[in-house]
Amino acid sequence: MAAVFLENVHLTFRVRQQYQITLKEYLLRGMFRASRNPIREIHALRDVGLRLRAGDRFGIIGGNGAGKSTLLKLLAGIYAPTRGTRRVVGRISSLFELSLGFEMEASGRQNILYRGYLQGETPRSMRKKLDEIAEFSELGEFLDTPVRYYSAGMLVRLAFSIATAIEPEILLVDEVLSAGDLSFQEKARKRMREMMSKAQILVVVSHDLDSLRRICDRGIWLDHGQVRAEGPIDQVITAYTSHVEHRRAA
Amino acid sequence: MSVVLGKQEEALPPILPAAESLPAPKETTTKPVTVIRPRNAWVPLDLWEIWRFRELWLFLTWRDIKVRYRQTVLGVLWAVIQPLFAVLIFTLFFGRLAGMPSDGIPYPLFAYAGLLPWLFFANAVTQGSNSLVNSAHLITKVYFPRLLIPASAVGAAAVDFCIAFTLLLVLYFWHAWRGLIAFPGLNMLLVVPLMVLLALLALGVGLWMSALNVRYRDIRHAIPFLIQIWMFATPIIYPASLVPERYRWILAINPLAGIIEAFRAVCFGLPMDWLSLAISVVVSGAILIVAAYGFRRMEKGFADVI
Repeated sequence: MAAVFLENVHLTFRVRQQYQITLKEYLLRGMFRASRNPIREIHALRDVGLRLRAGDRFGIIGGNGAGKSTLLKLLAGIYAPTRGTRRVVGRISSLFELSLGFEMEASGRQNILYRGYLQGETPRSMRKKLDEIAEFSELGEFLDTPVRYYSAGMLVRLAFSIATAIEPEILLVDEVLSAGDLSFQEKARKRMREMMSKAQILVVVSHDLDSLRRICDRGIWLDHGQVRAEGPIDQVITAYTSHVEHRRAA
Repeated sequence: MSVVLGKQEEALPPILPAAESLPAPKETTTKPVTVIRPRNAWVPLDLWEIWRFRELWLFLTWRDIKVRYRQTVLGVLWAVIQPLFAVLIFTLFFGRLAGMPSDGIPYPLFAYAGLLPWLFFANAVTQGSNSLVNSAHLITKVYFPRLLIPASAVGAAAVDFCIAFTLLLVLYFWHAWRGLIAFPGLNMLLVVPLMVLLALLALGVGLWMSALNVRYRDIRHAIPFLIQIWMFATPIIYPASLVPERYRWILAINPLAGIIEAFRAVCFGLPMDWLSLAISVVVSGAILIVAAYGFRRMEKGFADVI
């Protein structure tokens, strides 16, 4: 059974005001006087804990810069926690950005394989999916031309078709996606729903509170990297919106 | 489960259910279990994970080659042209003008056989050290073993090597036909394990440099002339026998020296210097192991700083 555990996870980025470290700075390290280019610590996540098990539909809400996407990337393994532990049982699939890594020189078909491999698929598991993805994308013979000749709409369609062809155990979604022209959008929405229903664990970050209410059963509200509320999604959303309204009134 | 609200200014009360109230997860061997510990901890290499992603390595290698020869008329012929012209110049200056000894082998052949493995190494390390930085768009968006990125630079260099090697064979048979050297024997097959060793050394150096380059972009500027110095410290355009006996040990520390001398010895049936090859094996192995563990340790921070 798939499961995700975060225990007391902190994530701190150490950044300098100026990106460059001069050699003098590096050698002296503020030995004699305070550095003019000090390291600032940014606490992206503070003491976050999560326990997700099969069947969970989990929503993450919060204002801009609250750490929602960062938390998702940490779950995906892109960032490692500065303190605390992350434990994942099962295969993670993530849908963050459609534009992820197309190889412009490669054909559509090759890109389907490439994206599959990036997400940990094997040639055997991809063989079954290749035709299905090709058909869904409606790109026909264009699949054999290099991706650099695709129109923006075709790229989106291909990206969406690949991204949603996975059979996820643990699915992380950043903003529920919509893609393509009107007729494709209808198809896309249906496929998205199907995929999400197949996942054992689903974690969604979104500003669209209504769809979160429909999709999720539990959730958290993040604020400045801290968990402000955790529980049934309705209550978390209510807490969040009343806080926002309260602030607006003040 | 209830919703608990905290004021922003106060310390937040614990919200999550106590750990004991949830049953421990069942662990099965079939499911991949990932435990990510805080950074700076030493982590196991997890070769199984790398093996699982082998197809990705092949694709990245293919991409590297494709990108390198994009929009070129001559395409992969460049893999032959580069060493060929280098050999022409070396032959003119060192072979003809300076009269460099070459262990009784015609100088062009001697230099080409040294340059081939060297160019493989130099390309793999140069491309490899920039590879992570060039793949920033992947590293910040998806998780996969990052080790595959510098490893694909080694793969691409290996393809170039194989193409250039065919020219060595042509030169070789031509010289043998004219009776200048003996016909190659079966011992030429020993080139394969030597190249595997060289690839492992290149991977080790490439991993190290690429990881450092993420944090200190100075590496990008330092690599070209480090490579150049390294070339002159390796018996490529001169034979190791040219170095006086008492300084020979300095050459032996350089793991490339042993490999390239052995490469030539195998190609031309010269006596093999087993001791310096053994030193190369040990040094290469040590570099690769240290680099691989260091890379795994550093890779967690890549997404933050790249």
